Amino acid sequence: MPQSPLHEEHVRLGARFVDFAGWDMPVQYEGVLAEHEAVRSAAGVFDVSHLGRFRLEGPESTRLLQTLLCNDVGAVEPGRAQYTMALNQSGGIEDDIIVWRWEEDRYWVVPNGANEDKVRALFVSRADTRSTIEDLRESTVLFAVQGPAAPAAIETVLGRRPVRFCLFETTFAQHPVWVAGTGYTGEPGGEIAAPIDAAVELFGAFLAAGLTPAGLGSRDTLRLEMGYPLWGQDLDPQTTPLEAGLAWVVDWDHEFVGKEALQRQRDGGIPKEQIGFIMEGPQIARNGYPLRSGETTGVVTSGNYSPTLKRGIGLGYLPPPLAADLRVEVQVRDSWLPVVRHDPPFIERT
Amino acid sequence: MDVPDDRQYTEEHEWLLPGEGGKVRMGITDYAQDALGDVVYVELPAAGETFSKGDAIAEVESTKSVADVYAPVTGTVTAVNEDLASQPELVNSDPYGDGWFVEIEIGDAAGLDSLLDPAAYRELIA
Repeated sequence: MPQSPLHEEHVRLGARFVDFAGWDMPVQYEGVLAEHEAVRSAAGVFDVSHLGRFRLEGPESTRLLQTLLCNDVGAVEPGRAQYTMALNQSGGIEDDIIVWRWEEDRYWVVPNGANEDKVRALFVSRADTRSTIEDLRESTVLFAVQGPAAPAAIETVLGRRPVRFCLFETTFAQHPVWVAGTGYTGEPGGEIAAPIDAAVELFGAFLAAGLTPAGLGSRDTLRLEMGYPLWGQDLDPQTTPLEAGLAWVVDWDHEFVGKEALQRQRDGGIPKEQIGFIMEGPQIARNGYPLRSGETTGVVTSGNYSPTLKRGIGLGYLPPPLAADLRVEVQVRDSWLPVVRHDPPFIERT
Repeated sequence: MDVPDDRQYTEEHEWLLPGEGGKVRMGITDYAQDALGDVVYVELPAAGETFSKGDAIAEVESTKSVADVYAPVTGTVTAVNEDLASQPELVNSDPYGDGWFVEIEIGDAAGLDSLLDPAAYRELIA
Protein backbone atom coordinates (compact mmCIF):
# COMPACT_ATOMS: atom_id res chain seq x y z
CA MET A 1 0.00 0.00 0.00
CA PRO A 2 1.41 3.45 -0.84
CA GLN A 3 2.58 5.52 2.10
CA SER A 4 3.17 9.21 2.45
CA PRO A 5 6.82 10.31 2.20
CA LEU A 6 6.17 11.54 5.75
CA HIS A 7 5.24 8.09 7.07
CA GLU A 8 8.23 7.83 9.43
CA GLU A 9 7.46 11.27 10.83
CA HIS A 10 3.89 10.20 11.54
CA VAL A 11 5.11 7.04 13.28
CA ARG A 12 7.45 9.14 15.40
CA LEU A 13 4.49 11.36 16.38
CA GLY A 14 2.50 8.31 17.51
CA ALA A 15 0.05 8.24 14.63
CA ARG A 16 -2.53 5.54 14.08
CA PHE A 17 -2.94 4.62 10.42
CA VAL A 18 -5.89 3.77 8.21
CA ASP A 19 -6.36 2.70 4.60
CA PHE A 20 -7.53 5.89 2.93
CA ALA A 21 -8.14 5.83 -0.82
CA GLY A 22 -5.66 2.95 -0.95
CA TRP A 23 -3.04 4.91 1.00
CA ASP A 24 -1.77 4.14 4.49
CA MET A 25 -2.46 7.54 6.08
CA PRO A 26 -2.63 8.89 9.67
CA VAL A 27 -6.18 8.77 11.06
CA GLN A 28 -5.18 10.32 14.39
CA TYR A 29 -2.23 11.16 16.62
CA GLU A 30 -3.39 12.24 20.08
CA GLY A 31 -7.10 11.73 19.35
CA VAL A 32 -9.84 12.90 17.01
CA LEU A 33 -11.50 15.21 19.57
CA ALA A 34 -8.25 16.91 20.59
CA GLU A 35 -7.20 17.43 16.98
CA HIS A 36 -10.65 18.71 16.00
CA GLU A 37 -10.55 21.20 18.87
CA ALA A 38 -7.00 22.29 17.96
CA VAL A 39 -8.06 23.09 14.39
CA ARG A 40 -11.20 24.98 15.47
CA SER A 41 -9.43 27.01 18.17
CA ALA A 42 -5.85 27.35 16.86
CA ALA A 43 -4.50 25.44 13.85
CA GLY A 44 -3.48 22.00 12.66
CA VAL A 45 -1.40 20.46 9.89
CA PHE A 46 -2.75 17.49 7.93
CA ASP A 47 -0.75 15.32 5.56
CA VAL A 48 -3.09 14.98 2.58
CA SER A 49 -0.55 13.51 0.18
CA HIS A 50 -3.11 10.85 -0.80
CA LEU A 51 -5.06 13.53 -2.70
CA GLY A 52 -4.73 13.48 -6.46
CA ARG A 53 -2.86 16.23 -8.27
CA PHE A 54 -1.66 16.58 -11.83
CA ARG A 55 -0.42 19.40 -14.01
CA LEU A 56 -2.31 20.23 -17.20
CA GLU A 57 -0.70 22.62 -19.61
CA GLY A 58 -1.17 23.62 -23.24
CA PRO A 59 -3.21 25.88 -25.49
CA GLU A 60 -6.22 23.55 -25.37
CA SER A 61 -6.21 23.04 -21.60
CA THR A 62 -8.93 25.60 -20.79
CA ARG A 63 -11.26 24.18 -23.43
CA LEU A 64 -10.58 20.66 -22.15
CA LEU A 65 -11.38 21.61 -18.55
CA GLN A 66 -14.55 23.38 -19.67
CA THR A 67 -15.70 20.30 -21.58
CA LEU A 68 -14.97 17.81 -18.82
CA LEU A 69 -16.01 19.85 -15.75
CA CYS A 70 -19.38 21.44 -14.93
CA ASN A 71 -18.14 24.69 -13.43
CA ASP A 72 -16.63 27.24 -15.85
CA VAL A 73 -12.90 27.44 -15.31
CA GLY A 74 -12.83 30.18 -17.94
CA ALA A 75 -14.44 32.47 -15.36
CA VAL A 76 -11.54 31.96 -12.95
CA GLU A 77 -8.70 34.44 -13.09
CA PRO A 78 -5.17 33.06 -13.27
CA GLY A 79 -3.84 32.83 -9.73
CA ARG A 80 -7.10 31.50 -8.31
CA ALA A 81 -8.71 28.12 -7.58
CA GLN A 82 -12.20 26.79 -8.29
CA TYR A 83 -14.41 24.01 -6.89
CA THR A 84 -15.88 21.94 -9.71
CA MET A 85 -16.99 18.44 -10.66
CA ALA A 86 -16.55 15.84 -13.38
CA LEU A 87 -19.91 14.38 -14.41
CA ASN A 88 -20.89 11.37 -16.48
CA GLN A 89 -23.40 11.46 -19.35
CA SER A 90 -26.22 10.90 -16.84
CA GLY A 91 -25.15 13.94 -14.82
CA GLY A 92 -23.79 11.75 -12.00
CA ILE A 93 -20.74 12.95 -10.09
CA GLU A 94 -17.60 11.04 -11.09
CA ASP A 95 -15.53 13.29 -8.83
CA ASP A 96 -15.50 16.65 -7.10
CA ILE A 97 -12.31 18.52 -7.86
CA ILE A 98 -10.39 21.68 -7.09
CA VAL A 99 -8.72 23.29 -10.12
CA TRP A 100 -5.76 25.57 -9.47
CA ARG A 101 -5.37 28.01 -12.39
CA TRP A 102 -1.76 29.19 -12.29
CA GLU A 103 -1.72 30.87 -15.70
CA GLU A 104 -4.01 31.25 -18.69
CA ASP A 105 -3.06 27.77 -19.97
CA ARG A 106 -1.35 26.18 -16.96
CA TYR A 107 -3.41 24.34 -14.34
CA TRP A 108 -3.22 21.89 -11.47
CA VAL A 109 -6.15 19.50 -11.18
CA VAL A 110 -6.75 18.17 -7.65
CA PRO A 111 -9.19 15.21 -7.60
CA ASN A 112 -10.03 12.96 -4.66
CA GLY A 113 -7.34 10.41 -3.88
CA ALA A 114 -9.59 7.51 -4.84
CA ASN A 115 -10.34 9.11 -8.23
CA GLU A 116 -6.92 10.33 -9.29
CA ASP A 117 -6.30 7.55 -11.80
CA LYS A 118 -9.81 7.75 -13.26
CA VAL A 119 -9.78 11.53 -13.64
CA ARG A 120 -6.26 11.73 -15.04
CA ALA A 121 -7.09 8.96 -17.53
CA LEU A 122 -10.15 10.93 -18.59
CA PHE A 123 -8.04 13.99 -19.30
CA VAL A 124 -5.36 11.95 -21.08
CA SER A 125 -7.99 10.33 -23.31
CA ARG A 126 -9.39 13.71 -24.36
CA ALA A 127 -6.20 15.78 -24.53
CA ASP A 128 -4.63 16.78 -27.86
CA THR A 129 -0.95 16.41 -28.70
CA ARG A 130 -0.13 19.94 -27.59
CA SER A 131 -1.26 19.23 -24.02
CA THR A 132 1.05 18.13 -21.21
CA ILE A 133 -0.32 16.09 -18.32
CA GLU A 134 2.05 15.27 -15.47
CA ASP A 135 1.21 13.29 -12.34
CA LEU A 136 2.48 15.30 -9.37
CA ARG A 137 1.78 12.69 -6.72
CA GLU A 138 5.08 10.94 -7.26
CA SER A 139 7.16 14.08 -6.89
CA THR A 140 5.36 16.12 -4.23
CA VAL A 141 3.71 16.00 -0.83
CA LEU A 142 0.55 17.92 0.03
CA PHE A 143 -0.29 19.49 3.39
CA ALA A 144 -3.46 21.15 4.61
CA VAL A 145 -2.80 23.83 7.22
CA GLN A 146 -6.13 24.86 8.73
CA GLY A 147 -7.47 26.89 11.64
CA PRO A 148 -7.86 30.47 12.81
CA ALA A 149 -4.11 30.63 13.50
CA ALA A 150 -3.19 28.95 10.19
CA PRO A 151 -2.61 32.06 8.03
CA ALA A 152 -0.15 33.46 10.58
CA ALA A 153 1.62 30.10 10.86
CA ILE A 154 1.92 29.85 7.08
CA GLU A 155 3.33 33.36 7.02
CA THR A 156 5.88 32.40 9.67
CA VAL A 157 7.06 29.40 7.65
CA LEU A 158 6.61 30.63 4.07
CA GLY A 159 6.68 34.40 4.40
CA ARG A 160 3.21 35.03 3.07
CA ARG A 161 -0.42 34.53 4.12
CA PRO A 162 -2.82 32.60 1.90
CA VAL A 163 -5.98 34.32 0.73
CA ARG A 164 -9.18 32.34 0.24
CA PHE A 165 -9.13 30.56 -3.12
CA CYS A 166 -6.00 32.45 -4.24
CA LEU A 167 -2.73 30.79 -5.26
CA PHE A 168 0.89 31.70 -4.75
CA GLU A 169 4.26 30.12 -5.37
CA THR A 170 7.18 30.69 -3.06
CA THR A 171 10.29 28.91 -1.84
CA PHE A 172 11.21 27.04 1.32
CA ALA A 173 14.87 26.10 1.90
CA GLN A 174 15.56 26.61 -1.84
CA HIS A 175 12.66 24.35 -2.78
CA PRO A 176 9.61 25.59 -4.68
CA VAL A 177 6.37 25.51 -2.68
CA TRP A 178 2.86 25.93 -4.09
CA VAL A 179 0.05 27.30 -1.92
CA ALA A 180 -3.72 27.51 -2.45
CA GLY A 181 -6.07 29.22 -0.02
CA THR A 182 -8.32 26.17 0.08
CA GLY A 183 -9.28 23.50 2.58
CA TYR A 184 -11.91 21.07 3.85
CA THR A 185 -12.49 22.21 7.42
CA GLY A 186 -14.30 25.57 7.19
CA GLU A 187 -11.27 27.28 8.73
CA PRO A 188 -8.85 29.75 7.17
CA GLY A 189 -5.57 28.40 5.88
CA GLY A 190 -4.33 26.64 2.82
CA GLU A 191 -3.28 23.53 1.02
CA ILE A 192 0.44 23.45 0.36
CA ALA A 193 2.41 21.31 -2.07
CA ALA A 194 6.17 20.82 -1.91
CA PRO A 195 8.76 18.54 -3.49
CA ILE A 196 9.31 15.28 -1.61
CA ASP A 197 12.89 16.36 -0.86
CA ALA A 198 11.51 19.23 1.21
CA ALA A 199 8.74 17.24 2.91
CA VAL A 200 10.31 16.37 6.26
CA GLU A 201 11.89 19.77 6.77
CA LEU A 202 8.70 21.64 5.88
CA PHE A 203 6.59 19.41 8.13
CA GLY A 204 9.04 20.08 10.94
CA ALA A 205 8.80 23.82 10.31
CA PHE A 206 5.01 23.66 10.54
CA LEU A 207 5.19 21.80 13.84
CA ALA A 208 7.78 24.27 15.13
CA ALA A 209 5.38 27.08 14.22
CA GLY A 210 2.94 25.61 16.72
CA LEU A 211 0.65 23.61 14.46
CA THR A 212 -0.94 20.48 15.90
CA PRO A 213 -0.52 17.37 13.74
CA ALA A 214 -4.04 16.31 12.80
CA GLY A 215 -5.22 13.11 11.14
CA LEU A 216 -7.92 12.23 8.67
CA GLY A 217 -10.33 11.33 11.49
CA SER A 218 -10.65 14.95 12.57
CA ARG A 219 -10.60 16.10 8.97
CA ASP A 220 -13.83 14.10 8.57
CA THR A 221 -15.57 15.53 11.66
CA LEU A 222 -14.43 19.04 10.67
CA ARG A 223 -15.75 18.74 7.11
CA LEU A 224 -19.05 17.24 8.26
CA GLU A 225 -19.69 20.12 10.67
CA MET A 226 -19.47 22.38 7.60
CA GLY A 227 -21.71 20.05 5.58
CA TYR A 228 -18.98 19.56 2.98
CA PRO A 229 -19.78 16.41 0.99
CA LEU A 230 -17.40 13.46 0.79
CA TRP A 231 -17.14 11.71 -2.56
CA GLY A 232 -17.90 7.99 -2.22
CA GLN A 233 -20.45 8.71 0.54
CA ASP A 234 -22.43 11.90 -0.14
CA LEU A 235 -21.49 12.10 -3.82
CA ASP A 236 -21.20 9.27 -6.32
CA PRO A 237 -21.77 8.48 -10.02
CA GLN A 238 -25.49 7.88 -9.35
CA THR A 239 -25.97 11.28 -7.71
CA THR A 240 -26.17 14.60 -9.56
CA PRO A 241 -25.08 18.04 -8.34
CA LEU A 242 -28.74 19.11 -8.29
CA GLU A 243 -29.65 16.25 -5.97
CA ALA A 244 -26.63 17.01 -3.78
CA GLY A 245 -27.57 20.67 -3.31
CA LEU A 246 -24.59 21.72 -5.40
CA ALA A 247 -26.40 23.54 -8.24
CA TRP A 248 -24.12 26.52 -7.53
CA VAL A 249 -21.21 24.49 -8.88
CA VAL A 250 -22.93 24.11 -12.28
CA ASP A 251 -22.33 26.78 -14.91
CA TRP A 252 -25.17 26.47 -17.41
CA ASP A 253 -23.61 28.89 -19.92
CA HIS A 254 -21.03 26.48 -21.27
CA GLU A 255 -21.12 22.98 -22.79
CA PHE A 256 -19.90 20.10 -20.58
CA VAL A 257 -20.29 16.36 -20.25
CA GLY A 258 -23.58 15.59 -18.49
CA LYS A 259 -25.22 18.95 -19.19
CA GLU A 260 -28.19 17.55 -21.13
CA ALA A 261 -29.06 15.11 -18.37
CA LEU A 262 -28.80 17.88 -15.81
CA GLN A 263 -31.06 20.13 -17.88
CA ARG A 264 -33.68 17.39 -18.08
CA GLN A 265 -33.48 16.97 -14.32
CA ARG A 266 -33.64 20.72 -13.74
CA ASP A 267 -36.84 20.88 -15.80
CA GLY A 268 -38.38 17.56 -14.74
CA GLY A 269 -37.44 17.34 -11.08
CA ILE A 270 -35.01 15.36 -8.96
CA PRO A 271 -35.71 11.88 -7.54
CA LYS A 272 -33.82 12.53 -4.31
CA GLU A 273 -32.65 15.54 -2.37
CA GLN A 274 -29.92 16.01 0.18
CA ILE A 275 -30.90 16.89 3.72
CA GLY A 276 -28.86 17.73 6.77
CA PHE A 277 -29.91 16.77 10.28
CA ILE A 278 -28.96 16.98 13.95
CA MET A 279 -29.84 14.11 16.29
CA GLU A 280 -32.27 14.97 19.08
CA GLY A 281 -30.82 12.40 21.46
CA PRO A 282 -27.28 11.30 22.23
CA GLN A 283 -27.17 8.54 19.60
CA ILE A 284 -25.05 8.88 16.47
CA ALA A 285 -26.23 8.10 12.95
CA ARG A 286 -23.69 6.60 10.56
CA ASN A 287 -23.20 6.23 6.83
CA GLY A 288 -25.76 3.70 5.55
CA TYR A 289 -28.37 4.00 8.31
CA PRO A 290 -31.97 4.22 6.96
CA LEU A 291 -33.86 7.52 6.97
CA ARG A 292 -37.60 7.94 6.68
CA SER A 293 -40.22 10.63 6.52
CA GLY A 294 -43.74 9.32 6.66
CA GLU A 295 -43.98 6.71 3.92
CA THR A 296 -40.85 7.76 2.04
CA THR A 297 -37.46 6.29 2.80
CA GLY A 298 -33.87 7.29 2.19
CA VAL A 299 -30.41 6.78 3.60
CA VAL A 300 -27.76 8.53 5.67
CA THR A 301 -24.63 9.14 3.58
CA SER A 302 -22.45 10.76 6.28
CA GLY A 303 -23.05 10.67 10.01
CA ASN A 304 -20.79 11.28 12.95
CA TYR A 305 -20.41 13.07 16.25
CA SER A 306 -20.05 16.85 16.10
CA PRO A 307 -17.44 17.79 18.70
CA THR A 308 -18.63 21.41 18.54
CA LEU A 309 -22.36 20.68 19.02
CA LYS A 310 -21.73 17.56 21.14
CA ARG A 311 -24.49 15.85 19.15
CA GLY A 312 -24.72 13.50 16.22
CA ILE A 313 -25.04 15.23 12.85
CA GLY A 314 -25.46 13.90 9.36
CA LEU A 315 -26.23 14.23 5.69
CA GLY A 316 -28.54 11.98 3.73
CA TYR A 317 -31.03 11.74 0.92
CA LEU A 318 -34.83 11.59 0.82
CA PRO A 319 -37.26 11.89 -2.10
CA PRO A 320 -38.75 15.38 -2.53
CA PRO A 321 -40.85 17.33 -1.85
CA LEU A 322 -39.39 17.94 1.58
CA ALA A 323 -41.69 20.29 3.45
CA ALA A 324 -39.93 22.60 5.89
CA ASP A 325 -41.76 21.06 8.85
CA LEU A 326 -41.25 17.50 7.65
CA ARG A 327 -40.75 14.98 10.44
CA VAL A 328 -37.63 12.92 9.71
CA GLU A 329 -36.37 9.88 11.59
CA VAL A 330 -33.22 7.82 11.39
CA GLN A 331 -32.93 4.16 12.25
CA VAL A 332 -30.18 3.44 14.76
CA ARG A 333 -30.01 -0.31 15.32
CA ASP A 334 -33.62 -1.29 16.16
CA SER A 335 -35.04 2.15 16.92
CA TRP A 336 -36.40 4.95 14.74
CA LEU A 337 -35.16 8.16 16.34
CA PRO A 338 -36.35 11.70 15.56
CA VAL A 339 -33.87 14.17 14.07
CA VAL A 340 -34.01 17.93 13.59
CA ARG A 341 -33.58 18.93 9.98
CA HIS A 342 -30.83 21.49 9.60
CA ASP A 343 -29.37 22.82 6.39
CA PRO A 344 -25.56 22.81 6.61
CA PRO A 345 -23.31 24.22 7.83
CA PHE A 346 -24.10 22.81 11.26
CA ILE A 347 -21.89 25.35 13.02
CA GLU A 348 -21.32 29.07 12.56
CA ARG A 349 -18.03 30.06 10.94
CA THR A 350 -17.20 33.37 9.38
CA MET B 1 -1.60 -1.52 27.72
CA ASP B 2 -2.74 -1.73 31.30
CA VAL B 3 -4.12 -5.14 32.43
CA PRO B 4 -4.80 -5.11 36.19
CA ASP B 5 -4.24 -8.35 38.09
CA ASP B 6 -7.39 -8.10 40.21
CA ARG B 7 -9.94 -9.16 37.56
CA GLN B 8 -10.81 -11.44 34.68
CA TYR B 9 -11.18 -10.76 30.98
CA THR B 10 -12.98 -11.89 27.82
CA GLU B 11 -11.74 -12.33 24.28
CA GLU B 12 -14.06 -9.44 23.36
CA HIS B 13 -11.94 -7.09 25.52
CA GLU B 14 -14.25 -6.76 28.50
CA TRP B 15 -13.19 -7.02 32.13
CA LEU B 16 -15.07 -8.47 35.13
CA LEU B 17 -14.37 -7.58 38.74
CA PRO B 18 -15.98 -9.87 41.35
CA GLY B 19 -17.86 -8.01 44.06
CA GLU B 20 -20.09 -8.95 46.98
CA GLY B 21 -23.07 -11.28 46.85
CA GLY B 22 -22.37 -12.95 43.52
CA LYS B 23 -22.25 -9.65 41.65
CA VAL B 24 -19.62 -8.62 39.13
CA ARG B 25 -18.79 -5.20 37.78
CA MET B 26 -17.85 -5.02 34.08
CA GLY B 27 -16.38 -2.61 31.62
CA ILE B 28 -14.10 -2.56 28.59
CA THR B 29 -10.34 -2.87 28.72
CA ASP B 30 -7.64 -0.28 28.19
CA TYR B 31 -6.85 -2.03 24.90
CA ALA B 32 -10.50 -1.72 23.79
CA GLN B 33 -10.83 1.98 24.63
CA ASP B 34 -7.55 2.69 22.89
CA ALA B 35 -8.68 0.88 19.75
CA LEU B 36 -12.06 2.64 19.74
CA GLY B 37 -10.62 6.13 20.09
CA ASP B 38 -12.54 9.00 21.72
CA VAL B 39 -15.75 7.59 23.22
CA VAL B 40 -18.63 10.04 22.76
CA TYR B 41 -21.67 7.99 23.79
CA VAL B 42 -22.37 4.76 25.67
CA GLU B 43 -25.79 3.12 25.46
CA LEU B 44 -26.34 1.05 28.60
CA PRO B 45 -29.12 -1.36 29.53
CA ALA B 46 -31.60 -0.60 32.31
CA ALA B 47 -31.22 -2.11 35.75
CA GLY B 48 -33.33 -5.25 35.97
CA GLU B 49 -32.74 -6.38 32.39
CA THR B 50 -31.50 -9.91 31.97
CA PHE B 51 -28.93 -11.09 29.47
CA SER B 52 -27.50 -14.37 28.30
CA LYS B 53 -23.78 -14.71 27.86
CA GLY B 54 -22.92 -13.32 24.42
CA ASP B 55 -25.95 -10.97 24.11
CA ALA B 56 -25.23 -7.37 23.14
CA ILE B 57 -25.50 -5.57 26.47
CA ALA B 58 -24.18 -2.10 25.56
CA GLU B 59 -23.02 -0.02 22.61
CA VAL B 60 -20.03 2.29 22.50
CA GLU B 61 -19.95 5.12 20.00
CA SER B 62 -16.60 6.71 19.24
CA THR B 63 -15.57 9.35 16.73
CA LYS B 64 -14.55 6.45 14.49
CA SER B 65 -17.25 3.81 14.80
CA VAL B 66 -19.84 2.03 16.92
CA ALA B 67 -19.02 -1.18 18.76
CA ASP B 68 -21.22 -3.70 20.56
CA VAL B 69 -20.29 -4.84 24.03
CA TYR B 70 -21.36 -8.39 24.86
CA ALA B 71 -22.58 -9.81 28.14
CA PRO B 72 -19.61 -11.79 29.49
CA VAL B 73 -21.88 -13.89 31.73
CA THR B 74 -25.55 -14.77 32.01
CA GLY B 75 -27.33 -12.67 34.61
CA THR B 76 -29.37 -9.64 35.62
CA VAL B 77 -28.19 -6.03 35.54
CA THR B 78 -28.33 -4.61 39.05
CA ALA B 79 -26.70 -1.22 38.44
CA VAL B 80 -25.46 0.92 35.55
CA ASN B 81 -22.85 3.68 35.55
CA GLU B 82 -25.03 6.80 35.28
CA ASP B 83 -21.96 9.04 35.01
CA LEU B 84 -21.28 7.79 31.48
CA ALA B 85 -24.36 9.65 30.20
CA SER B 86 -22.71 13.02 30.81
CA GLN B 87 -19.06 11.91 30.79
CA PRO B 88 -18.55 9.15 28.21
CA GLU B 89 -14.87 10.12 28.10
CA LEU B 90 -14.45 8.30 31.44
CA VAL B 91 -14.24 5.12 29.35
CA ASN B 92 -11.04 6.50 27.83
CA SER B 93 -9.53 8.13 30.89
CA ASP B 94 -10.31 5.43 33.49
CA PRO B 95 -11.51 2.24 31.77
CA TYR B 96 -10.97 0.03 34.84
CA GLY B 97 -12.36 2.50 37.38
CA ASP B 98 -14.83 5.34 36.86
CA GLY B 99 -15.43 4.18 33.29
CA TRP B 100 -17.18 0.94 34.38
CA PHE B 101 -20.38 -0.01 32.53
CA VAL B 102 -22.71 -2.19 34.59
CA GLU B 103 -23.00 -4.50 37.58
CA ILE B 104 -24.45 -7.94 36.93
CA GLU B 105 -25.81 -10.52 39.32
CA ILE B 106 -24.59 -13.78 37.88
CA GLY B 107 -27.44 -16.14 36.97
CA ASP B 108 -25.43 -19.06 35.67
CA ALA B 109 -21.93 -19.70 36.95
CA ALA B 110 -21.18 -22.10 34.11
CA GLY B 111 -20.13 -19.25 31.81
CA LEU B 112 -17.32 -18.19 34.13
CA ASP B 113 -15.14 -21.07 32.96
CA SER B 114 -14.24 -19.42 29.68
CA LEU B 115 -12.97 -16.16 31.18
CA LEU B 116 -9.31 -15.26 30.77
CA ASP B 117 -6.94 -14.54 33.62
CA PRO B 118 -4.71 -11.44 33.32
CA ALA B 119 -1.77 -13.42 31.93
CA ALA B 120 -3.94 -15.01 29.23
CA TYR B 121 -5.45 -11.66 28.32
CA ARG B 122 -2.01 -10.04 28.09
CA GLU B 123 -1.05 -12.80 25.70
CA LEU B 124 -4.20 -12.19 23.64
CA ILE B 125 -3.40 -8.53 23.05
CA ALA B 126 0.36 -8.91 22.75
